[in-house]
Amino acid sequence: MTDEQNEDLRLLRDSVHTLLDRAGGIARARRVRDEAVHWDAALWQELAEAGVLGVATPEQAGGFGMGLPAAGVIAHELGRVITPEPVVPAIGLAIGLMHRLCPDDPALADAIAGGVPPAVAWQERGPRGVSGQIDCAFDGKALNGAKDWVVGAGKAERLLVVAKSSAGLAFVRVATGGAGVAMQARKQSDGSVQHGVTFTGAAAELLAEGNVVSTALADAVADTTALAAAELVGLSASALELTLDYIKTREQFDKLIGAFQAIQHRAVDMKIMQEVAEATIRETLVVMEGADTAQRSRQASRAKARACTAAQKITREAIQLHGAVGYTDEFDIGLLLNRALVLSAWLGDATYHRRRWLDARETEGATQ
Amino acid sequence: MTDWNTLSDEEFRTQVRTFFESEYPEELRHLPHRPTFAEIEHWHVKLHAKGWVAPAWPVEHGGMGLEAAKLIIFYEEQQRHGVIRGRDMGVQMVGPLIIKFGTQEQKDDWLPRILSCEDIWCQGYSEPGAGSDLANLRTSAVIDGDDFVINGQKIWTTMAHDASHIFMLVRTDPDAPRKQQGISFVLAAMDQPGVEVRTITTLAGETEFCEVFFDDARTPRANLVGEIDKGWSMAKALLSFERIFIGSPALAQNALGQLETFARGRGAFEDAVFRDRFSELALDVEDHAALYSRFADQLKRGETLGADVSMLKIWVTETYQRISELMIEVAGPDGGTIGPLQVGNVGVDVLASFYKARPTTIYGGSNEIQRNILSKAVLGL
Repeated sequence: MTDEQNEDLRLLRDSVHTLLDRAGGIARARRVRDEAVHWDAALWQELAEAGVLGVATPEQAGGFGMGLPAAGVIAHELGRVITPEPVVPAIGLAIGLMHRLCPDDPALADAIAGGVPPAVAWQERGPRGVSGQIDCAFDGKALNGAKDWVVGAGKAERLLVVAKSSAGLAFVRVATGGAGVAMQARKQSDGSVQHGVTFTGAAAELLAEGNVVSTALADAVADTTALAAAELVGLSASALELTLDYIKTREQFDKLIGAFQAIQHRAVDMKIMQEVAEATIRETLVVMEGADTAQRSRQASRAKARACTAAQKITREAIQLHGAVGYTDEFDIGLLLNRALVLSAWLGDATYHRRRWLDARETEGATQ
Repeated sequence: MTDWNTLSDEEFRTQVRTFFESEYPEELRHLPHRPTFAEIEHWHVKLHAKGWVAPAWPVEHGGMGLEAAKLIIFYEEQQRHGVIRGRDMGVQMVGPLIIKFGTQEQKDDWLPRILSCEDIWCQGYSEPGAGSDLANLRTSAVIDGDDFVINGQKIWTTMAHDASHIFMLVRTDPDAPRKQQGISFVLAAMDQPGVEVRTITTLAGETEFCEVFFDDARTPRANLVGEIDKGWSMAKALLSFERIFIGSPALAQNALGQLETFARGRGAFEDAVFRDRFSELALDVEDHAALYSRFADQLKRGETLGADVSMLKIWVTETYQRISELMIEVAGPDGGTIGPLQVGNVGVDVLASFYKARPTTIYGGSNEIQRNILSKAVLGL
């Protein structure tokens, strides 16, 4: 990256950082959780005005064309203060799919401008977790089947659904409150909600179909996965910072607990884990920019595997180093642990992505 | 009255198992949360009628008078059947304290009400500034006529909001040369104007821990147990038998069973990597049990346990955490979901297991403290 690009990213980071801190930081996330609305309309509007939602959308599609590294900087900041609103799903999935598949649809401009974004329903449940295929079917008019792990559907008025059709895959739009749409809410450890959705002859509007849909889906999912990784790494940065503050103030046996070598070594290991994760996420986002679909997916898996490993290790160690207060809801460290559980599980955890990364590496090796 | 100790181990085990299987209420088996007394009163009534509330107490005080070997069998059967330990702070902690250090009057006064659960006890040890460093406690008890006047704060007091009495360590001599000196054991009623209880919400959303505030609370001087200013060594003596139970394999064994059920339902056993990780954990649990038996045998022979028993707690709690973490991995995209995840006809609450495992490395002497004890007392470092 050029110096100028780096400077742009630094400015972007500072402005989003300030915006989120002014909005209340982690205390705001706690409030949103306790009020169980999962949505802070004022903040959403501010984020839109700051250019957050269209950051990675090309200029010709009405976005700001700053690319994935810029979106990653934003995701890191969102993670740092915990942001229960579905910003990454909006940027990566909803807006990411629309700018690739239906750039002229007014819903894209509306989402970039801060309208409530549609929720994207693409994964399906199999007996062992995520099904490897898409069975939900679009017959030209109506949708039949089921989707799961849909984020942001509680607030959304529209769902964007990837379904199979006679042309391969179809990208369609459905009203969340429409006939034949049944939503099942599943509460998550961080207080957020994911939905399972069942369609029985639900009226759907076709937005795109054919091979373009499968390519756009793979690219958008890869982007979102990498952004979720960036959010996780922002989160673990916070967890590490809170923990270092704590061990520098808590005294037992007449000295700071951070003065015990056993604690110091563990804090150092957390720091190393964090720095490796931050460097990995920065590098992968740059490599992904402009890469083909296969390379994009492989790098996204690398990012998510590293971020999940780091965030899980750091948040769990953070609880231990806080001792009993770490297990209370009153201390913010527990909110970070709970958020890490959700972000790690969403779009694949470390084990899943390590395997995908190896599969992709072997496939690439075979074609070279 | 039966002298249980004259039975063979096998015969005793059968009797205990039969009683639990026929009498223990099904809805209370493997209860995932700590119950209030009201929830388990019907079970307590049965247990009391049977005379089995206090297996470790001497017969003359209303206990079963079990020797170590029988006691271990009793607890093993209890855990195997998923019988809750109930609100047993009175039986486990206060009773033994009074039996060992109390006056005849205290024995006559308190022990029967512990057995009947007319009094429900909570333990007031930790304070905000006295966790790992418990001897740093500051809650004061000052003599005023026939009473102690108590001021200060306790924290992590389990189920204090559902307790009628608290047994607590208090500072009676603030000028003692060492902070382990000048600490006393007193008993106090919770239902009085100077005592305020606030529940603490955990990150799992539960409220079993409390803070207890004392603002000129009073308790009669007759409620001092043992000698004044000698509470510290009494508290340590109390823990000696308990220390093996905090290292018991039960929690990890139950979690491993849940992992197996869940992983079979999700088809994870077809995966070679999972098989390796599962068998590693299963062996960690099984082999820990071998070490546990070694310590249990020591108790059965009537020997006291040394500091080395801390190894059990470190190993089993950390294994338990790894099991619960692997369950989260098997859950994959459902790993952040609250409530039971359905596999076949059963629901496995993966997240509850994960949460339950977290504080085990913190409470009962954090694993850091246990390692310090081992390095000093066992390795001589």
